[in-house]
Amino acid sequence: MGDAVLLNIVLFLPLLGIALIVALPEGQDDRVRSWSFGVMLAQFVITLVLYLRFEPGVAGLQFETRLPWIPEWGVYYQIGLDGYNVLLVLLTAFLGPLVVAGAFSAIGKDVKLFYAMVFFIQFAMLGTFVAQDLLLFYIFWETMLIPMFLIIGIWGGARRIYATLKFVLYTAFGSILMLAALIYLVWSQYTATGNLSFAFADLLGTRLAVREQGWLLAAFALSFAIKVPMVPLHTWLPDAHVEAPTTGSVILAGVLLKMGTYGFIKLGFPLFPQATQLALPIVMALAVVSIVYGACLALVQTDIKKIIAYSSISHLGYVMLGLASLDLLGIQGAIIQMVSHGLTAAGLFLMVGMIYERCHTRELADYGGLAKALPVYSVFFMILTLAAIGLPTTSGFTGEFLVLLGAFNAAWPQHLAGASMPLAWAVIAVTGVVLGALYMLWFAQRFLYGTTRVPHGPVPDLNRREKLIIAALMVPVFWIGLAPGEPMRKTEAAALHFQRLVGGAQAAATAPAAPLAQRGVEATR
Amino acid sequence: MNWTTLLVAMSPEHLLLAGIVVLLSLDIVSDRARGHLPVSLVAVLAATLVAALLAIAGYAAAPFPGQLSVDSSAYAAKAIVLAMAIPAILLARDEFPDGPFYTLLLSSLYGACLILSADNFLTLFLGLELMSIPVYVLVLLAARRAESTEAALKYLVLGGAATAMLLMGVSFLFGITGSMQLDAFGRLLDTGDPMANMAVVLILLSFFLKAAIVPFHTWAPDAYEAASVPVTGFMATVIKAGVLLAAVRLFGFNSLSGRMVELLAVLSLVSIIWGNLAAMRQTSFRRMIAYSSIAHAGYLFYAFLGDGEGRFQAVAFYALVYGLMNLLAFASLPLAADDAERDRLDNLKGLYQRAPFAAVMIAIAMFSLAGIPPLPGFVAKFLIFRNVIEAGYTLYAVLGLVGSYLGIYFYLRVLQFMFMSPAPEGLAPQPTAKLALGATAVCLVPTAVLMVYPGGLLGGL
Repeated sequence: MGDAVLLNIVLFLPLLGIALIVALPEGQDDRVRSWSFGVMLAQFVITLVLYLRFEPGVAGLQFETRLPWIPEWGVYYQIGLDGYNVLLVLLTAFLGPLVVAGAFSAIGKDVKLFYAMVFFIQFAMLGTFVAQDLLLFYIFWETMLIPMFLIIGIWGGARRIYATLKFVLYTAFGSILMLAALIYLVWSQYTATGNLSFAFADLLGTRLAVREQGWLLAAFALSFAIKVPMVPLHTWLPDAHVEAPTTGSVILAGVLLKMGTYGFIKLGFPLFPQATQLALPIVMALAVVSIVYGACLALVQTDIKKIIAYSSISHLGYVMLGLASLDLLGIQGAIIQMVSHGLTAAGLFLMVGMIYERCHTRELADYGGLAKALPVYSVFFMILTLAAIGLPTTSGFTGEFLVLLGAFNAAWPQHLAGASMPLAWAVIAVTGVVLGALYMLWFAQRFLYGTTRVPHGPVPDLNRREKLIIAALMVPVFWIGLAPGEPMRKTEAAALHFQRLVGGAQAAATAPAAPLAQRGVEATR
Repeated sequence: MNWTTLLVAMSPEHLLLAGIVVLLSLDIVSDRARGHLPVSLVAVLAATLVAALLAIAGYAAAPFPGQLSVDSSAYAAKAIVLAMAIPAILLARDEFPDGPFYTLLLSSLYGACLILSADNFLTLFLGLELMSIPVYVLVLLAARRAESTEAALKYLVLGGAATAMLLMGVSFLFGITGSMQLDAFGRLLDTGDPMANMAVVLILLSFFLKAAIVPFHTWAPDAYEAASVPVTGFMATVIKAGVLLAAVRLFGFNSLSGRMVELLAVLSLVSIIWGNLAAMRQTSFRRMIAYSSIAHAGYLFYAFLGDGEGRFQAVAFYALVYGLMNLLAFASLPLAADDAERDRLDNLKGLYQRAPFAAVMIAIAMFSLAGIPPLPGFVAKFLIFRNVIEAGYTLYAVLGLVGSYLGIYFYLRVLQFMFMSPAPEGLAPQPTAKLALGATAVCLVPTAVLMVYPGGLLGGL
């Protein structure tokens, strides 16, 4: 019970943060900054404690709280941690203080409102991850729109209003259909069982005709796929990333994009297993198209932020590929890849923000040879670049490798048409790795090496705050890269659960029952 | 006749009547009487509290059997309608320091209370007219602009048309059933008889006109724009809630079927879509709110597709939340040199820099009206569409939700003006009036409660 309280504290600390900084008098921007950092740090420490106490191998919820909220409708305030969300909650809480610290010097306008919005989105994101009740999940999910709309719209670049409206209108369209689908789902479940409940656990077994499942899956998937974003629903992302302030980009890439893939793994696929099985070829095709197409687009960009934005599309394609493989390692790899992308993309966006603060341009052509001018910056940037393309010993390698392993080993139910297709898709997906190395290394080459060109230079190298932020980011990048067994053990129960629900008995039977996490560790070595 | 029952059952109405009498006496006693605002405020507050208490106590009686009866849901509806008049009164301080505004407002409220306990079409008619006629005058009362007269006349003529349709429908109804009771309407709903259909449709259309459903909406934008802020607030909230809750009483527990479903769903859907589309290109705040209110009337009538019990809950909750949000926005609207200037949407540009509190309040109202969680507008919208889906009209629900999606843009546009656009030249920061701040608080506290714990109110409805 004590630990359950801790999870509630983690969830509601951001609201306390808002109250604290709103209570501060005007004109004390420095105190707003340091208090925000303190609250975020406290949140991360408590989350870390929860993570360490999280029992691997336990199916079901841990640190659960369940209180009646709108009891007439069977809506409960139900939150908890499980293998699906524990790493993502840790990632969100970890990025929190870094996001706050990263904006210390960048944001000078409406500082109070800015940090209030950062806390607000932190609250909404954590809530989305820990919610175990469908209506609660939906409320948190939609709440994220409000602070993100303001963060991009107020502190963004020249075309910020276009970008923020595009972001909100895209994502809101998906969720409006999800609302209809979730009401329909709950209502079907109620008429079938007489139990009016929005709890995930109750809804997972809902009996529906395949046709109904198809429609509902389409509605959920539209909402999730826009958020991921999967090609062809990705066009909002480059605009949002380019126009957003650094903080906005970091939150978007670090956590917000994981909402879509998390939605698929936690809800979309398990709720409608039969429809998912039929849709698997499409999902896998779109995932591979996202990987390759995102990589190709990243190759030709001239704006640094756009390169990383399109690389996000590519990297999240791997997550979808891992999920669609239904292979245990693939699923675990998908979760690891989510975390890994969150770390590297957040780090890259932070570093782009740091150089932008100094040189006021994001045009790649304006830069060159930063390795000589800013050596510390360049070393950190190179490490993050290598992590993003999945060099062994970094988290990117663990994620991508497991996903590809899963895709080659795809455990699709035998009765499915085209059960041998995954192999073909996996082969194409591997070219994405090559393309990824190509665009990232080419980018790093033009950016860091060659003739030294520093706009508005000479500029100072990273200061201590910036060094600390990036150094902190390196810790989990190498931790997951060098010792993936620990985080993988925490996701194992969830991956098995997902596989059993979506793949059915056949998939579970083909998967080895022996120590899976160890197999994963060996595989990565 | 049992006098105690009469006294208790109609006590909200009695308190309003007492307020009207005091206000009239004030005018007689002195030429330059003051204190209209406190008197009307006290009367409405007392009436609200009494109605709420009677609702909680579950009091039910029929002081005039066959004409008027009350039960806890009628009291809850009255409490909701009366409560929304409180911020409207608080807002009137600057526009109407004294005078007939308050008498008219209280009379209109009396009418609204009457229709919410009517059992007979005569009582209903009496209440509807008593509610509407003062509003025609209220629109004209401020008369800040040349167009006010035109708008008031338009409103009067169309209101008259609604009355005529209602009377025609009721006479058909009486001709078929020989009864003037409200429940006769429910019995006619699913007969295939053309005469019965005529009666039902005529009565329904009069409600559509009063609630401004497309294509009977054209009076609303003009009237909302021409009236002053407190009157617009009153029309958009109290009148709309009164009409809708009366319609709930009229439909009773009867489910709709056949052609009636199509009539209701299609017109509501068209209202939602047209209201939201037309609101996008408005430059006047009140005109935008008028089109938004047309869309919201569409959502409210959507709730009638659902079953009887859910219908009252959905409409009452929605009307309350919708009213609170409109009043919150109106209360926070910054002051300006004149009424037309105050109404310009461009005037909101850069509001966050000038008046952060007001900007945040309007932002809350806009997000809530757009139905974005965690604000209470979401739960209200959810309730409506849950009813529609549960009744089996999934396609209409999806279409309605897509229609509501269209509305997000123009609410966000207000946000964009307030937070993301630079302030126009020459605008000094305007202090908000103290009483308007009070109105803000009156709206904000229930908003917060409904956001954190909507189950509290829903359990009671």
